[in-house]
Amino acid sequence: MPDWQELVRRHLSGLALDPAEKDEIRAELAAHLEDAYESMLTDGINNSEAAKRTLCLADDWQDLQRKISSARSGKDAMTNRVTQLWLPGLATFVLSGGILALVQILRLKAWVLTKNGDLPIAVLDVWWLILLPLVGALGAYLSWRAGGSQRAILLSSVFPVLPFLASILVVLPVSLVFDKFIAHNIGPMSLVFALFGWVFVPAATLLAGGLTTQLFLSRRSSVDGVASR
Amino acid sequence: MIGSGIKRGSAELAVLSVLQDGPLHGYELARRIERQTNGALRFTLAALYPMLYRLEQQRWIRGSWETGPSGRRRRCYRLTPAGTKKLSPLRREWAELFRALRRLTKAAHA
Repeated sequence: MPDWQELVRRHLSGLALDPAEKDEIRAELAAHLEDAYESMLTDGINNSEAAKRTLCLADDWQDLQRKISSARSGKDAMTNRVTQLWLPGLATFVLSGGILALVQILRLKAWVLTKNGDLPIAVLDVWWLILLPLVGALGAYLSWRAGGSQRAILLSSVFPVLPFLASILVVLPVSLVFDKFIAHNIGPMSLVFALFGWVFVPAATLLAGGLTTQLFLSRRSSVDGVASR
Repeated sequence: MIGSGIKRGSAELAVLSVLQDGPLHGYELARRIERQTNGALRFTLAALYPMLYRLEQQRWIRGSWETGPSGRRRRCYRLTPAGTKKLSPLRREWAELFRALRRLTKAAHA
């Protein structure tokens, strides 16, 4: 007979509730699955088919976990968005900015991609990029711990590059319209390099950390098959 | 088949109505609703338990662990006086909605 207790425990490991409440919920859901499974066996369905159909009762564990956390804590959607996206995003943004400032203060190794005269437009700070996966991983973990959806987890990971992306997207049309009126006019290629150095490469490294963390956490809380006693 | 939006709205009424007949645990509750609606209302865990916990927070139902005849412990839900009081206006609202929809479809066919 499948070990429903263990299955629920592993899937709902990230419930954002106190341990006693978590145990109570897991026991209740495991009992539900057990009853459903046994009822199917009584109806003449074979073991493996009954286990498969019982698992269908909880097709999206992540969604279930999020909804239960929200219902039990009595928090509304707005509060959830703050804890699942904005706070992890802010944490990654501050940390990423802090590391970048430190790297620049210490004048650690950097690759200048493009310059406008003597002014570097796009720079790859190597040490910043090396540390960014850890920042992305932290964002993903904080969002996951608050019961965030897959989208919230990924957005929390790449949050530090979003302000850069927004600024470049604002600068681009402005420079196209007012190009001749700006003293230090910025060429289109500089903007492409800026996008590359400030958005794409950092986003890729942040995502590397975020995705790895998400993969690890979902592996930990998911079961390939049903654990057997 | 009833659409998901209507199902969500009517799920609370279904749970409160069924609990009016007596306390039930989660699985029994889901099974009874499914049977009584000929399968039109079918609950997954993600649909049932968050709703039960929300109804509990609103103090319309109360859950407590009980040991059944088989010796198994199950969390049974019962309607509270506040839930009983809520049931009548909820039924009225849904009856009004269905009357309005019936009038609408009759007018459309006329």
